Amino acid sequence: MATDSALKVIFEHEGVFIHPNTEEEGTEPDLLVSGSLRILEKDAEVLVDFRPLEDPVDPSNMLCAGQDSSSVVEWAQCPKEKHQSHQLLETQQSYETEWDMLNAVSFRKRSSARGEGLLNHSLERSRWAFSVSVSDLRSITVKDEGWTFVILQQKEPSTSLPALHFHQGGSREFLDNLRRFALLTESPEDETCLEVSTPNRALSQSFENLLDDNSFGLIHKFRRDPYVATFGGLSKVTNYIYDALRGAEEQQQQRPPEEVADLLGEVIPGLEINQQEEPGFEVITRIDLGMRPQVTRREPLSADRWSKHLDMEGRVQDVDQLKHEVFKGGLCHAVRKELWKFLLGYFPWSSTSEERRCLQRVKIDEYFRMKLQWKSVSEEQERRNSRLRDFRSLIEKDVDRTDRTNWFYEGLNNPGLTLLHDILMTYCMYDFDLGYVQGMSDLLSPILYVMENEVDAFWCFVSFMDQMHQNFEEQMQGMKTQLIQLSTLLRLLDLTFWNYLESQESGYLYFCFRWLLIRFKRELSFQDVLRLWEVMWTGLPCQNFHLLICCSILDSEKQKIMEENFGFNEILKHINELSMKLNIEEILQKAEGLFHQIRSCKDLPHSISSILGLDTGHQRSDPTNAGAVAASQRAHLQNICSNGLGRENGSQNSGRPAFKS
Amino acid sequence: MAAKKSTLKVILLGDGGVGKSSLMNRYVTNKFDAHLFHTIGVEFLNKELTVDGYKVTLQIWDTAGQERFRSLRTPFYRGSDCCLLTFSVDDSQSFLNLSNWKKEFIYYADIKEPEKFPFVVLGNKVDVAERQVSSEEAREWCQENGDYPYYETSAKDATNVAVAFEEAVHRVLAMDDKTDYLISTDTVRLHRKPRSATTCCS
Ligand SMILES: Nc1nc2c(ncn2[C@@H]2O[C@H](COP(=O)(O)OP(=O)(O)OP(=O)(O)O)[C@@H](O)[C@H]2O)c(=O)[nH]1
Ligand SMILES: [Mg+2]
Repeated sequence: MATDSALKVIFEHEGVFIHPNTEEEGTEPDLLVSGSLRILEKDAEVLVDFRPLEDPVDPSNMLCAGQDSSSVVEWAQCPKEKHQSHQLLETQQSYETEWDMLNAVSFRKRSSARGEGLLNHSLERSRWAFSVSVSDLRSITVKDEGWTFVILQQKEPSTSLPALHFHQGGSREFLDNLRRFALLTESPEDETCLEVSTPNRALSQSFENLLDDNSFGLIHKFRRDPYVATFGGLSKVTNYIYDALRGAEEQQQQRPPEEVADLLGEVIPGLEINQQEEPGFEVITRIDLGMRPQVTRREPLSADRWSKHLDMEGRVQDVDQLKHEVFKGGLCHAVRKELWKFLLGYFPWSSTSEERRCLQRVKIDEYFRMKLQWKSVSEEQERRNSRLRDFRSLIEKDVDRTDRTNWFYEGLNNPGLTLLHDILMTYCMYDFDLGYVQGMSDLLSPILYVMENEVDAFWCFVSFMDQMHQNFEEQMQGMKTQLIQLSTLLRLLDLTFWNYLESQESGYLYFCFRWLLIRFKRELSFQDVLRLWEVMWTGLPCQNFHLLICCSILDSEKQKIMEENFGFNEILKHINELSMKLNIEEILQKAEGLFHQIRSCKDLPHSISSILGLDTGHQRSDPTNAGAVAASQRAHLQNICSNGLGRENGSQNSGRPAFKS
Repeated sequence: MAAKKSTLKVILLGDGGVGKSSLMNRYVTNKFDAHLFHTIGVEFLNKELTVDGYKVTLQIWDTAGQERFRSLRTPFYRGSDCCLLTFSVDDSQSFLNLSNWKKEFIYYADIKEPEKFPFVVLGNKVDVAERQVSSEEAREWCQENGDYPYYETSAKDATNVAVAFEEAVHRVLAMDDKTDYLISTDTVRLHRKPRSATTCCS
């Protein structure tokens, strides 16, 4: 792979010293080896690299190691710091020889202290060079002797590397940068010792902490000793509270203090922390998007058009074209009841009408078998089943508070309410581990409204929940992933705005929570929700299109947010209050425009193309992994139909469609 | 100094469906919407009022009650000046859960001296005929837990709603000498920018 050789400098600091005499016998006393310490990323591995100064290894070669001619190393003079030269280093390398974006890190190149005792012999010096993978580190000890020194402890062999003495500062930046790739937690035994945990775990853990609880105890410790305190647990919210505690005046125009860990930067690999406050160290990231093309939307697909897509046996012809039409204009209401079943994956695209009838018969059986399970639980039994009782009580409360102004659910004894209730209860039987979580009634309501049929609505809901499941799970992994992805997108699409949000402690986009949890259900009018969802279910024009919809809405609001200088609370309030004021066609237009802009961007960062599935071969992929599923669904369907009504077959398969391959 | 505005943060906690959002809406807009959605995420509304000549902005925070979303609501507990523990008089479980809500609040809001923190207890839906929690029980609980003021409210017919919120404000102001408090809040308040009060409420 062309990326194999890409080497990225995450951090570099000169004026880091090793004192060999304290490490080894037989060397001259008071010997200092001055060198530069780097954090490098290569082949998805992160290395801590120390090179003594004037080492034969030319640092600039490091940057393009293995890469032919595409590295750009520039030297620039920073006007603010006249006496020091500044180096601009390219740190972000892309696929092939192209640059993803200009992602330049400029930092102070200090004149190192060349006192007596400095080693001159290059061989002697290079002996002190080392390079160690972050994942091989067990712990980092941070001590102070008037200056800070740091001891890296390896796992295997369990030895210490020579202590690194930060005579010219920079230890904090070094640790902060490491935190982006590993979780550093204060050891319970020794507060100077930070335990290093592996990147993957660190990633998920720290994001846990973003939304988690225990982080709050840390704030006090943090205030006492921001240096050693564990940053991993501090959430953005804590930052903001921390600012609040620091007092008003100094805070007013200022960016929050840099000592507070930038958790978002930590949890999103590849996202640079914008360290504006650090003199001589800044990160500039931009992506060059062309003009946003004017996108036109079309008329909704009519019943007539739809019928033209069906052949004699009721097979859908030209599925790609059909999906495209749905993407561009949505559906007339009359078509929804039938076409949504395909869009959601309840009906295979390749099925005939006859096969679909068979399928439905099996699904009716399956549904009622599960419905009977909760229906037949006596009060007596339920008293001993607290989970079922809790689900029922939640469902009852939420059904009373879901779309009650819609005619389908309005009034006291509307049958729509009973259906909503029964389907949600049956879903608990279908997936008892998940059960009922608030928000699910919002996802079901439009589907039931369109289907006007309990069984069909149930199975369509099941399909929708397959896509949305992770949002509702215990750890809400789906929500975390989406917030990270959205932040990544927004940062590259609109750094200015992202920086603004960041400066208001809102960079982790908490205010998009409701949007993402229930796919804009509460933000749009009921009819607009139907339109948006059918467009999304086409899986076009790319995966995670709903994140571009978020970007599109934010793009329309950013001016107001920044001009009026909204803070954390006001941003939350402003976004909450957009509900029911949004125009779906405008949003879709802009989101599609954004997509075209991104796709025609030739230096598209890998992080973006992977979120949107624009890597080779991923285009137009169905979110439900259509290919494989379709094939096995077909096999299953034929099986059902050749077994008569397939009743026995269905019940033997314990309720789950037998998609064995 | 006396002209300075101050923001007090009050948070409504209690089981799902006890009427937190309805109480907030009743107090801020004086309306009761029987078609209200259940809450997802976190919301807040501002209400300006004048107490003893001081203009105060009451910032009322409302969250979703379900356990699953706990980690998403607890960060917002920080910086609260008062906590309204809410149950519904027609739901005994919601009453039994009051202690849990109190504990959760004290823990996540990181209250240093819980004995001194101003809690107010609201027994909502008193307009409903079938009660499961009697006034006596509720008062007893309040007595035992720290002598909290107790109000029986109805968001539906507005009984005691304004009184309860105003009591919350008084409790906060009574914590300290008022003037001192109002000055010092500017350094403690989550929303200390003077302009925030105006932009939020417009
Ligand atoms: N009779 C009566 N009903 C009320 C009263 N207050 C709220 N309700 C109803 O009780 C139900 C729940 O009210 P909400 O305000 O949504 O409850 P909540 O505490 O915000 O619930 P979550 O958002 O789920 O945490 C709604 O159907 C309201 O209409 C009241 O004072 N009297
Ligand atoms: Mg509510």
